[in-house]
Amino acid sequence: MDMKESENNCREELIALKKEYEEFVYIVSHDIKTPMRAIINIATWIEDDLGSNANQDILDNFSLLKNRVVRLENMMNALLEVSRVDKTKMELYEVNIPKLVNDCIKMLDNKSNVEFHITYHLKDENCITLGKKLEKVLFSLLDNAIRFHDKEKKNVIIEITENDADYEISISDDGPGIPEEVRDKIFSIFYTVNSKDVVDTTGAGLTISNKIIKMVGGKLHYAPTVSNGSLFKFNWPKTISI
Amino acid sequence: MTHRLVNILLVEDDEIDVMNVKRAFSKNNIKNPLFVAGNGVEALEMLKSVIIPLPRIIILDINMPKMNGIEFLKVLREDEKLKNISVFVMTTSNEDSDKIDAYNLNVAGYILKPLSFEKFISSVATLKNFWQLCEM
Amino acid sequence: MICSNILLVDNNKIDVVSTKNAFSTLGIATTLHFAESENEAWSLLQGDHKISPTPKIILIDINENGLSGLNLLYNIRRHPDLKSILVFVITKANDDENKVAALNLNIAGYIRKPIESENNIDFFSILNDYWNIIEYSSEKK
Repeated sequence: MDMKESENNCREELIALKKEYEEFVYIVSHDIKTPMRAIINIATWIEDDLGSNANQDILDNFSLLKNRVVRLENMMNALLEVSRVDKTKMELYEVNIPKLVNDCIKMLDNKSNVEFHITYHLKDENCITLGKKLEKVLFSLLDNAIRFHDKEKKNVIIEITENDADYEISISDDGPGIPEEVRDKIFSIFYTVNSKDVVDTTGAGLTISNKIIKMVGGKLHYAPTVSNGSLFKFNWPKTISI
Repeated sequence: MTHRLVNILLVEDDEIDVMNVKRAFSKNNIKNPLFVAGNGVEALEMLKSVIIPLPRIIILDINMPKMNGIEFLKVLREDEKLKNISVFVMTTSNEDSDKIDAYNLNVAGYILKPLSFEKFISSVATLKNFWQLCEM
Repeated sequence: MICSNILLVDNNKIDVVSTKNAFSTLGIATTLHFAESENEAWSLLQGDHKISPTPKIILIDINENGLSGLNLLYNIRRHPDLKSILVFVITKANDDENKVAALNLNIAGYIRKPIESENNIDFFSILNDYWNIIEYSSEKK
């Protein structure tokens, strides 16, 4: 077999594998949802039929049951979202960067004790890019900064610098930071530093952000800040070729 | 729905979803006679002979075996006796194509089955209020 | 989440004001457009000055002043871009002949409005709740 032939074979195999992977993820996350939803419903009915006078242990257990199934469902949704990163919301359109940042901030929950410090070094506030994808990344990083913060008063610093070929974006906080031992694990789907009983989250935000950034040709780094908080920095190329 | 309770037909193949509807109806004190068909074929049979008088409301799932919701709806709309029954789609399908097909066949509403039972009870409450406003 | 535009067809000016107020009081998040006749309504739905995006909901307030809505409804149902619009016929009257004809054209509801307009808020509140739980197909410009 010559080089060209084997190259073609590899390419075909790759395409087939990708298709199989996507089908698998779709089935896992889509079809499995139906019996999962059924479990939540049935648990609710039983709780309902038992009434509030029932044994508290029984009611607690049903609560745990439902919580774990909801977690299962969130994980399915996260899997689905990760697999579809390059399939949905892939429109290129003009984005006003400060407005995008403000929109993300507006969408955040629990921002009551959060102070945002935003700095822009931009030549042009507008750019044409995959707006929904950039929004997703910004939102995920901001959401993480707040969700995993351990202090009453939280500070989140956003800095965006425009270079010739890309934008450098950094989001940092004065939270607990990420222990050195686990820094290489944080981009794995479902990984959370603390147990999911402590902070209720699926742990997919970073995975999805990382995948998006890689897709557009950038890189995402983590570094601790001076105050031992977290700094996430990535570059977002101006020209995106997928 | 002022003086008598119209018949309601539920076309749904998933037994959990059927139970959900029955429970939500009960929680909302909806006392209308509820008939259940597991798919479009069964529904048409029930409409032709079993349900008397004909239901004024059909709650319709889309993804069902043998004959899905859209196919059933097409047949319904072509039948002189059945075509003016109000149809409310209740489905997990968020596909735009299904919404377009359903509205093109003039459903009165397209509702996504909510994830939690509590939300479902509340949606049914809203439906009940709406039905009570309607002359059927 | 409700659709962007709703068209109200009503030739009674007092009713129109009352409806506008109800929408405003309830904070219904949609743009309400008005037509006094079936012809005016038709021109707002297609043609050069049509509402964009096309309304997904039309309210036809029929009353004793001759507005029956049946012509408009018939034309909507025959138009490929408009036939899927949800039409609600609102009435205070008791017109069974009209009702049968409208139901045969698959309206979403033939609805009895309260005679006293003080009860309008509750009436539109129920409709608003309903419009918020249903899905809409994607809007075309």
